[in-house]
Amino acid sequence: MRTRAPLALKVPVVVAAFLVAVSLFTSEQVLTRLEEIQTRHLETLARVHLDGLATALVDAVLREDVWEVFDVLDRTRQGSPDLIATETIVTTQDGRVIAATDPRRVPSGAALPSEYQASPTDDLRIRVSEARAFAHRAIVYNGLPVGAIYARLDIAPLLAERQRVLDALVWTNVGLTILVVIAAWITVRRMLRPVQILAAHLEEGVAGPVGTIPEALVSRAGPEFRRLFLAFNTIACAYREREDLIRRLAEEEKLASLGRLASGMAHEINNPLGGLFNALDTLKRHGDRPFVRSDALSLIDRGLCGIRDIVRSALMTYRADRDGRLLDGSDLDDLRVLAGPELRRHGLTLSWRNGCDERVDLPASHVRQIALNLLLNACQAAPAGGAVEVTIEMAKGALTLRVDDSGPGLPSDAARILTAPAAVPHVGPGSGLGLWMTARLIADLSGRISVASSPLVGASVTVTLPLSQIGALPDVA
Amino acid sequence: MALLRLPSRRAVLRAGLAAAGTTVLPDPGRAAAAELRFGLTPVFLTSDLELLARLKAYLERATGRPVRLVTRRTYQEITTLLVTGQLDAAWICGYPFAAYRSQLALVAVPVWKRRPLYQSYLIAAADRTASGLADLRGDAHAFSDPDSNSGWLVTAAELADMGTDPGRFFRQSFFTYGHRNVIRAVGAGLAMSGSVDGYVYEVMRETEAELVAATRIVRASDWLGFPPVACSVALAQAPETERLRRALAEMGDDADGRAVLAMLQLDGFSIEEPSLFDPIAALMHKVKGAAG
Repeated sequence: MRTRAPLALKVPVVVAAFLVAVSLFTSEQVLTRLEEIQTRHLETLARVHLDGLATALVDAVLREDVWEVFDVLDRTRQGSPDLIATETIVTTQDGRVIAATDPRRVPSGAALPSEYQASPTDDLRIRVSEARAFAHRAIVYNGLPVGAIYARLDIAPLLAERQRVLDALVWTNVGLTILVVIAAWITVRRMLRPVQILAAHLEEGVAGPVGTIPEALVSRAGPEFRRLFLAFNTIACAYREREDLIRRLAEEEKLASLGRLASGMAHEINNPLGGLFNALDTLKRHGDRPFVRSDALSLIDRGLCGIRDIVRSALMTYRADRDGRLLDGSDLDDLRVLAGPELRRHGLTLSWRNGCDERVDLPASHVRQIALNLLLNACQAAPAGGAVEVTIEMAKGALTLRVDDSGPGLPSDAARILTAPAAVPHVGPGSGLGLWMTARLIADLSGRISVASSPLVGASVTVTLPLSQIGALPDVA
Repeated sequence: MALLRLPSRRAVLRAGLAAAGTTVLPDPGRAAAAELRFGLTPVFLTSDLELLARLKAYLERATGRPVRLVTRRTYQEITTLLVTGQLDAAWICGYPFAAYRSQLALVAVPVWKRRPLYQSYLIAAADRTASGLADLRGDAHAFSDPDSNSGWLVTAAELADMGTDPGRFFRQSFFTYGHRNVIRAVGAGLAMSGSVDGYVYEVMRETEAELVAATRIVRASDWLGFPPVACSVALAQAPETERLRRALAEMGDDADGRAVLAMLQLDGFSIEEPSLFDPIAALMHKVKGAAG
């Protein structure tokens, strides 16, 4: 489809072809008609010339008076400068030349030059290639032919006129064709402009958020396209509302997942708290005994350390979201802590390989969100007692994040949501909003995502994020 | 007048001329008898209408009579009109004057280059190298007029001397009835050579240089009597003829007359003896002898 010529080119080409055909036809007609007129004109001229001479020459031819015949021919030639006869020859009935306009070429008494020999029925012979014509007429006296006049006519001016007409036709037609082609091009372009506007908006919608066509363009468009534009704008608005809804749902999902994280964290904090209270109780009752005291304090210390780690990583997530700072290797390590409750809840084994031990040109909050979402997704997908594997590598100016799980593999719907961010998920809880958010974040970082089957039986999701994307980063939820 | 005309009519019959070709238009009544009928032959440059008007005006004033200039295609017509008394005077060629010597008298003879003489030229195309008549054998030759001295008689006499005649000597010959036409015929190549009046040729050398430039003079003849103005012998001493003779002789004294002479490139007119034309008569006899 793309290889076909655009309409803005096709229409002028068709118009040009049509005009060329028309002009060829009309030119042919005009030239044929001109040729007919010229031939008639030539016949008339030749007839008038020869008739006049025949009348003037009868007596002289009868007497074979060389001088008088020549005198008449010479005077006729000098008297009419526009006469097209370049040579006139008068002969006797048996074809001997009495006199010619150029006696040096055709002397008196000579035979008629062969080029003048003509069939008696053919009054006018036109030789276009030689730019001349031959005419002849019998001189009749008392009903009997006594001699003949032969004339060579110069038809170069007629041919030149024909050429001029042809030139004029060609140039006029070329000019007209160019004008009409330009007009057709402009018209088609003008006609196609609404289509281009529509196409541009549709393409824009495919690449990113769908924009409505501005009111000014809608009001300028013709009635057919105005209806089309209005329909498009209605659809675009509906689409945008739907997208906003999805985004809100995604936000809620994020909050929900945060809630889940928070409850996990509360559980994590609650477990040591029980121990801590026990230790405090032990201290209150048997605090005077040194070994009991040191045991209890050590218990309290471990419990508080665990609580501190959980609180710190939660704080980190909050701060990273707020600061917009660059990613550090340790930012990703924190995720282990955040995902800890989920892992434990499902009794999963996490294999964590972090090859990133330096600061990289990527926004910390986005990368953490992507990694956390994928990790939590893997935790949900993996069966109880299963395994989850996270591999982070730096290579070729990009950060690669791979999450494997031993689950049943990624459903095709979910894979589609991940790999084609423009595809919109069904709106509803647990319908892949987390994955959709992840895909949008990856797209914002100009990253790539691929889904394969994992060596751990389940799915393997690989995300590649090119570095140095900080500058072009939009604000994404 | 009628008495004077009768012998002239007989002369016409004697000459065996066709009456149809020589009748003049009827005179518009007797009142025109006072009119001077002046004939011009093609020896004269008759193509110049201004010259004719000036000559007519001068002659009318100088003779005190209305003048009618009569031109004809051939010398013969004018000569016949003159000898039959249908013209009072005519500018004719020396050959008809010699031929009709007994019937014609001289009125005056033009003076060209201070002499009442001229030559006959044999001409050919400018690129030919012929140096005499003998080199022109087998040509297509243009003569001026069968009654012209320079345009026929001189060449015919020379051929008679060579023991031949135009019909045998030339492949083809024809008459153009005008010295200018001879030059045109030779210039255009219709004729390879021609016999022409040397005076006309010299005048045309200036007036129509291009035409003359296409030709060259092969041979100029001896000096012969210039074509004279003649009248019927009966009118030779008439007062009208005397007036005409004086008018011609005194042409140089008048502005109009001088203009005419200037156009003709003549010095004037002089009164000459008829013996001036004896050499032409000799040529004539030579040709007649050869023909006989």
